[in-house]
Amino acid sequence: MSTTDQKVASAISAQGLNFTYNAKSPFAKHALVDVNLNIEQGEFVAIVGHTGSGKTTFVQHLNALIRLQSGQLRILGRDLAVKKPDLKALRQEVGMVFQYPEYQLFADTVLEDVCFGLKNFGVGKEQREEMAREAIELVGLNFAKIKDKSPFDLSGGEKRRVALAGVLAMKPKILVMDEPTAGLDPRGKREILSLVSDINKTQGVTVIMVSHDMNEVYENANRVVVFRDGQIVHDTTPRELFRLEEEIVAMNLEVPAMAQFTNELERQGYTLPDNCKTVEEVYEAVLKLKEARHA
Amino acid sequence: MLRDVTFGQYYPSNSFVHKMDARVKLVLVLLYMVGIFFIVSFVGFAFITVLLLTVILVSRVPLKSVLKSIRGIIFLLFLTALLNVFFNKGDTLLWSWWKIEIYQEGLIFAAKMLLRLTYLVIGSSILTLTTTPVDLTHAVESLLKPLRIIKFPVHEFALIMSLTLSFIPSLIEETDRIIRAQKARGADFDTGGLIKRAKAFVPILIPLLVGGFRRAEELANAMNSRCYEGATKRTQMRVMKLGWRDAVATIFVLLFFATIFVVYGMQGNWGAISWLNWLYF
Repeated sequence: MSTTDQKVASAISAQGLNFTYNAKSPFAKHALVDVNLNIEQGEFVAIVGHTGSGKTTFVQHLNALIRLQSGQLRILGRDLAVKKPDLKALRQEVGMVFQYPEYQLFADTVLEDVCFGLKNFGVGKEQREEMAREAIELVGLNFAKIKDKSPFDLSGGEKRRVALAGVLAMKPKILVMDEPTAGLDPRGKREILSLVSDINKTQGVTVIMVSHDMNEVYENANRVVVFRDGQIVHDTTPRELFRLEEEIVAMNLEVPAMAQFTNELERQGYTLPDNCKTVEEVYEAVLKLKEARHA
Repeated sequence: MLRDVTFGQYYPSNSFVHKMDARVKLVLVLLYMVGIFFIVSFVGFAFITVLLLTVILVSRVPLKSVLKSIRGIIFLLFLTALLNVFFNKGDTLLWSWWKIEIYQEGLIFAAKMLLRLTYLVIGSSILTLTTTPVDLTHAVESLLKPLRIIKFPVHEFALIMSLTLSFIPSLIEETDRIIRAQKARGADFDTGGLIKRAKAFVPILIPLLVGGFRRAEELANAMNSRCYEGATKRTQMRVMKLGWRDAVATIFVLLFFATIFVVYGMQGNWGAISWLNWLYF
């Protein structure tokens, strides 16, 4: 596959994806049922759904941690239905951040841990350290101060950043994250999210984020995919999705506070632009509405 | 995947054997294990086969699951048998080459050894197939109670045992997750020489150990904050009671072994089953 082809290829293109755990046994569980999804490069997609809805199963397909059972799956133009896909190349392009990624730290020093992936993908020593430095600084840590520390001596938030740096160092084109903010305090959450949002906007990295926190989904993603019983039931923008308040509640999801507020305004006849999702943006939009009325 | 590894092989059912008191089952299995070492003839093994088949039938555990338990040690079984073939000398030489000699007696002894070990494993796996690890732990605790007289911490011992058992599934799950996480970072566990492969396990083992300590500490804190105190006047949620099933099973097994021994005795074969004789065999 040449580079020019990759540029036009979708980041992710799944067609008729099916997956069954414990197939052919009484415990068979259909985790994915005929999933079709196309994600372009540069999108920030949130994947939501109840526990056991198939979202984690889907996300693990993207890195070939779960092998394709049936259907078509192309990642950056690379066909995963072939017998022996190039897993190394794929995993270098698709960075995967698991839940509680700090639990996978193992090396003696932070630098060594961040370099682990690069080393596995055959990056030379000097280049490795340079890339690790970039990644560590990207996640907002002081490289000189932290590089020789043991990852086990860091605070929870720092550990999470180091683990994230270990994935970002590989410069993935697609970043897949399974609840990256779970267990962090509100400030830590905001920092991780703005970091991810930044990487998405400035570097054009495709971000796929599994999340249970509808507020962070609403404010950060530009597309939401809802899974239920292994199927995609919604695939739309956050604003559109959270207009369906009753349906959202029926699916055991919550409606984000700002969405509730904006929906209520709409019912009263005040329409805000669709890209106003954070408190600040809504505030600005409401001020503008007010000025327009007085004028 | 690693998830398929099951520890404790409990096979849920509602059979006679499942409903028996775990203590009785444990004692009977121990009795069976001792008893099987007194069996020295193929006729005796035929009897044991009948006993085992009866118990398996009554327990409603599929024969396949029972036989699965041998799969893990099949290599060990055959190695033992093979060594016994070569190292037992007798009168009837069957085959010889250079210094290797095979005697009929050696073959027979090896075959019996193979049977004995196989039956030992099958017998004990019937216990684990029909008894949950929790019940088994309670049974051990209850049976060890007399040791309290010599200040043996029976309750703590049982607690350690049950905690260990309950940690295993979550550790397996965690291992699975760590493996996937490191794979996503390009870790390769399947290629390279022995040393390279051994080294590849470091990124799994260290997080696993760290996680294990973390869980242990969390558990200790949780127990402390609930004022947990060892064996002081602790009652059990599930009180074990002996029932008619236990009496029936005990009588059945005892009668069975008694029959075997009496049959031998009538044939004037007592010598063959005396433990002294067995040791000399």
